[in-house]
Amino acid sequence: MFPVSIQYFFFAVVLMLSQVLVFNHIHILGYAIPMPFVYLVLMLHSSTSRWMYVLWGFIVGLVIDIFSNTLGENAAAMTFLGLIAPRLLDVFSPADRGDDGFIPSPHTMQWGGYVRYATAATLIFTTLFFLMESFSLFDVVRLCIHIASSSFLTLLIIFAIEHLRQNMARV
Amino acid sequence: MQVFLDFLRRYNYLFLFLILEILSILMLVRFNRYQGYVWLTGANAVTASVNGVYTDAVAFTELREVNRDLTDVNIRLQQENRALREALADAKYDTTYTHRRVLDELQGYRLIPARVVGNKIRVGADNYLVINRGSKDGVTAEMGVVSGGGVVGIVYLTNRHHSLVMPITHSKSSISCSVRGQNYFGYLQWDGANTRTAYVSDVPRYAKARKGQVIETSGYSSVFPPGIFVGRIHKVSNASDGQSYRLDVVLGNDFASLRDVSVVATPYKAEVDTLKRRAEFIDMNNDN
Repeated sequence: MFPVSIQYFFFAVVLMLSQVLVFNHIHILGYAIPMPFVYLVLMLHSSTSRWMYVLWGFIVGLVIDIFSNTLGENAAAMTFLGLIAPRLLDVFSPADRGDDGFIPSPHTMQWGGYVRYATAATLIFTTLFFLMESFSLFDVVRLCIHIASSSFLTLLIIFAIEHLRQNMARV
Repeated sequence: MQVFLDFLRRYNYLFLFLILEILSILMLVRFNRYQGYVWLTGANAVTASVNGVYTDAVAFTELREVNRDLTDVNIRLQQENRALREALADAKYDTTYTHRRVLDELQGYRLIPARVVGNKIRVGADNYLVINRGSKDGVTAEMGVVSGGGVVGIVYLTNRHHSLVMPITHSKSSISCSVRGQNYFGYLQWDGANTRTAYVSDVPRYAKARKGQVIETSGYSSVFPPGIFVGRIHKVSNASDGQSYRLDVVLGNDFASLRDVSVVATPYKAEVDTLKRRAEFIDMNNDN
């Protein structure tokens, strides 16, 4: 159902704390906001049931919202990401995956598949998040810059974490 | 039921997603001032739009009643329009020189106003008019009938409420006429060619008749007083006997659209008729 380990739990706490205390205060050129907590949904095991994806996305988003004073914005975007992530994983996962499932990572999906998966998921999330935040299409160009720059920054952090995890696994 | 439960079980994540998404959006508009304001504004716009559609629909359902009211108003306006047009036509009529002159000439005569209720005017036929005044109103046979355009004809038959008028456009009509300003007279007759034209025969060749001159009643009968407009000379030509002129006359009245007329009650007609009968009687005795 939900293969949560102690390690994952602490990682989630650390990532959410980092988001609330550090990343929320980063606004590069007033546009790019890193939101690496998306990673908490991306790294769920592929055998996780879909309702669990949705619920976990909602919980992560709600926690971030509560501490960021943006109630509803992250929760709505993360809930949708929870709905769509399993489908993305199906699309971008390798054809020779086993029946036991896997934890999405460059190791299990190759870098190409993982980058596509993470990029699609992050773009969907940031698009929804900034749509929720602006709540109108008054300034579409500004909205697109927000989405692109924030997605780029978030993906950089996610890939950095993945790279670190791979190096630590080798050691 | 089992199918339904299977459906719920299979797509439980979709229902959970819908619930959590709605909850998130509710929190978004409830606890965020900007999003709440935008939501309220958008909701107001949608409500106004829906109200507009509803109002249009209600107005559409009431169109039948509005249509009926409009029909009533239309009929009333048509009646008013007709009445006003008739009043305007009468007003125009009163101001024409011909009509005023006819009325001047008829001063001292009793006029019985009447309306044409039957009108059979055809080219080449013997035409008759029916007016809505009869013996009850003092109309008798051989009284003259005039209108704003001049001479109309002579009463031929009467009953209690209506009279039959023999107009100028009748083959047996013969009215004594003269050229205005001259004493030469002739008889106005109709050849059946056109309801707007007639001709005056037996005009002496030494009469100075020209195109455009006015033909009026001569007064040499007890039917019409002298000077009543008949028409204008259109063409002067020689009569078939070669001894006199024939004057083609454009009539003052359009008999096809004749409506209001007056019967002329000549005050001394009875005396003139009595004198004529006595003269005929004396002539008969002398012949015997």
